[in-house]
Amino acid sequence: MTYLIRGKIALFIKVIFVTLIVSVLLLLAQSAFAQKEYVISAFLAIAVLLLALTYLTKISIPLKFFIPGILLLTAFVLGPILYTVTMSGFNYKTGNIISKEEAIVQIKVRGIESAPSGQTFDIKLGTYEGNPAILASDINTSEYFISTQGDRIPLVASALTFNEYGVAVEAPNFTPLTDSEFATADKLFTGARFTFDDRFFIALEGFEAGVVSQQVLEYLPESDQFKNLVNGGIYTDNGRGNYALTDDKNAILEPGWRAPIWFENYSKIVTDSRVREPLVRVFLWTVVFALLTVLTTFALGLLLALALNKPIRGRRIYRSILVLPYAMPSVMSILIWGGMFNTEFGAINTLLGTNIAWFSDPNFARVAVILVNLWLGFPYFYLISSGSLQAIPSELMEAAAIDGANPRQIFRKITLPLLLQILSPLLIASFAYNFNNFNLIYLLTGGGPRNELDGEIAGATDILISYTYKIAFGSGTQDLGLASAISLIIFILVASISLYSLRKSKVLETFA
Amino acid sequence: MNKWLRQDLWRHVVGISICLFSLFPLYLVVISSFSSTGSLQLSSFIPREISFANYSKLFNDPTIPYLTWVKNSLFIAGSVALLSVMIGTASAFAFSRLKFKGRKFGIQLLLLVQMFPAILAISAVYVIMERVYNFAPGIGLGTQPGLLLVYLGGAMGVNIWLLKGFVDSIPAELDEAAKIDGASEVQTFWLIFVPLASPVLAVVALLSFIGTFNEFILARLFLVDMESRTVAVGLQQFIGGQYSQNWGPFAAGSILASIPIVIIFLSLQKYIVSGLTAGSVKG
Repeated sequence: MTYLIRGKIALFIKVIFVTLIVSVLLLLAQSAFAQKEYVISAFLAIAVLLLALTYLTKISIPLKFFIPGILLLTAFVLGPILYTVTMSGFNYKTGNIISKEEAIVQIKVRGIESAPSGQTFDIKLGTYEGNPAILASDINTSEYFISTQGDRIPLVASALTFNEYGVAVEAPNFTPLTDSEFATADKLFTGARFTFDDRFFIALEGFEAGVVSQQVLEYLPESDQFKNLVNGGIYTDNGRGNYALTDDKNAILEPGWRAPIWFENYSKIVTDSRVREPLVRVFLWTVVFALLTVLTTFALGLLLALALNKPIRGRRIYRSILVLPYAMPSVMSILIWGGMFNTEFGAINTLLGTNIAWFSDPNFARVAVILVNLWLGFPYFYLISSGSLQAIPSELMEAAAIDGANPRQIFRKITLPLLLQILSPLLIASFAYNFNNFNLIYLLTGGGPRNELDGEIAGATDILISYTYKIAFGSGTQDLGLASAISLIIFILVASISLYSLRKSKVLETFA
Repeated sequence: MNKWLRQDLWRHVVGISICLFSLFPLYLVVISSFSSTGSLQLSSFIPREISFANYSKLFNDPTIPYLTWVKNSLFIAGSVALLSVMIGTASAFAFSRLKFKGRKFGIQLLLLVQMFPAILAISAVYVIMERVYNFAPGIGLGTQPGLLLVYLGGAMGVNIWLLKGFVDSIPAELDEAAKIDGASEVQTFWLIFVPLASPVLAVVALLSFIGTFNEFILARLFLVDMESRTVAVGLQQFIGGQYSQNWGPFAAGSILASIPIVIIFLSLQKYIVSGLTAGSVKG
């Protein structure tokens, strides 16, 4: 085996391997560049450089161990996190998703209206002398012409071929689109303006009809404004991602773009009561949920550990059964519990002889969430408590017993404090984990029940993370900027909890 | 007898009642998987019928590519487990054994990064992979290799403490001896450390396998094609609909998918527990 790791053969294998990966990445970088994905392309190029430098020279030995991990971490964890953090300073939400340049183009395309005459043409798409063109027919007035984006060529009916509706389908020098060209016609024809006369142009409505239209909104590049050509209204960049009418701030043009609004998403959390109130409610429930989960799972796990801390008959069987909830894939157990809480058919109501609508009543839904999490979590605390119980020296208990302490006193005065000391980092870690237990809430209740009538998106069992997910990706207005700001706050909370626990458990001191 | 009652009876009472609590949902799934009604209903504790319709549906119904889902899950979870152990072990070794500038800063940064609620970075991951799809359709959005890459993004950080703790426990004399014999750091890693650590690496790989097998949100976002889904995503659709919940095939599929994991878990229990107490929490 050794020859695979040192010597000439090893070097040969290494060079081939590195060359292979580097060339694949180079290929990707090149095609990314061709598709104008400059950031990705640059990242890949840097990756190639680092890989080659690290593995073919002796520039840094630690990097040989870190590079693959660091590259993946940067691409799929650090990069997305930085993006999210940046977005918390923008008004990145439904209606303001695209960039300003894209928004200006969109507004121009949308800023047209049909001419007062209301004239429309039946059209055929095709090319005229190599340029995209339309063959327009008005079957009422028998007016026919070819129109390109720069020219209009009148036609006489005798030179044309018609279909059964009287629409011209063929004309001299006009090549209709083939079926395969139709598939890609969208890019060329949508939004294109075909010549009608000096003032009006023909805009397509689908691929079959053209409407005589005029531009209403005109972009003025020097002053960065839009002008309404019909009534003269001026729309100015309001600094918040929209063009707004100078006299009426609420009259904005759609779509807007994502504009930096700095700390407004954060200040909104404090000042806007429509954001603050649900958030505070959700935050309180998150803390209660995480605390209750840790308490109940720890209590039940400890009770079991104490009960089975003696080699009683059948202990191995108990142990195997008790860890089953922990060994089962949790996605599946959560979904199964969801079915068990069904009001009409659910096993829980059948068992209790009740008819409770578990997921429609806020309090019952909360009980259900805690109960399911207890089922999922107690085996973990059973396993670690029984391990830790064995780690407590038995001399301590014996000494206490000799001094006349009864079993209850021994437990309260000796066992429990010692256990808590051993397990406190894990208890805090469990709190931090459940603080962000997205899967449970998302799969079990979806955060509900919620009051849908007043348009509130926070449900009774929503925790911060599931609520934020709804803000960002929900079915209504998606506000990624606000969601990013909240996730940064969650991050700071969880990080402080975890760092506190780590400091306590002294893990970090090994790096001092 | 009296003494036995006083000392051991309560232990059995606690043990049996909590066992019932653990078993109840599992028992219910088993019954529904053998029932032909397709509901998760508790009509009686003793099953009235034993029908294999749900199981045969999983394997014979052409609209349910169950075996493909299982294969996808095994492929994705297996590759993630293998590669992330390699990446994680290499990083843990370097953090534990090599001296370099920024070591403390590096591991603290790694720790901090993991505390960011990853679910919120999903939109950015989505945008990135959508763009990757534009120039490399094989590894972009909607593909298994793409999902694999995204999962591997976390490979360096997850389990780093567990692994590093283990590396720290291997006596440094071994490395020094290897160094005196002329071994480089990379050689020490492969020839001394990896063989010594293999039991721990197996456990870490297993934890990572289970974690990936359980992952739902990213997998659902990424794998749109029926044929490319994982078991968790595929089975969820049976009961995902508000009004059409079909528990029979879900139950049967969940049981079959869980059995191997439960068996591995139970047989490696001892090692996993020692891993858990070292500070990792099951995801």
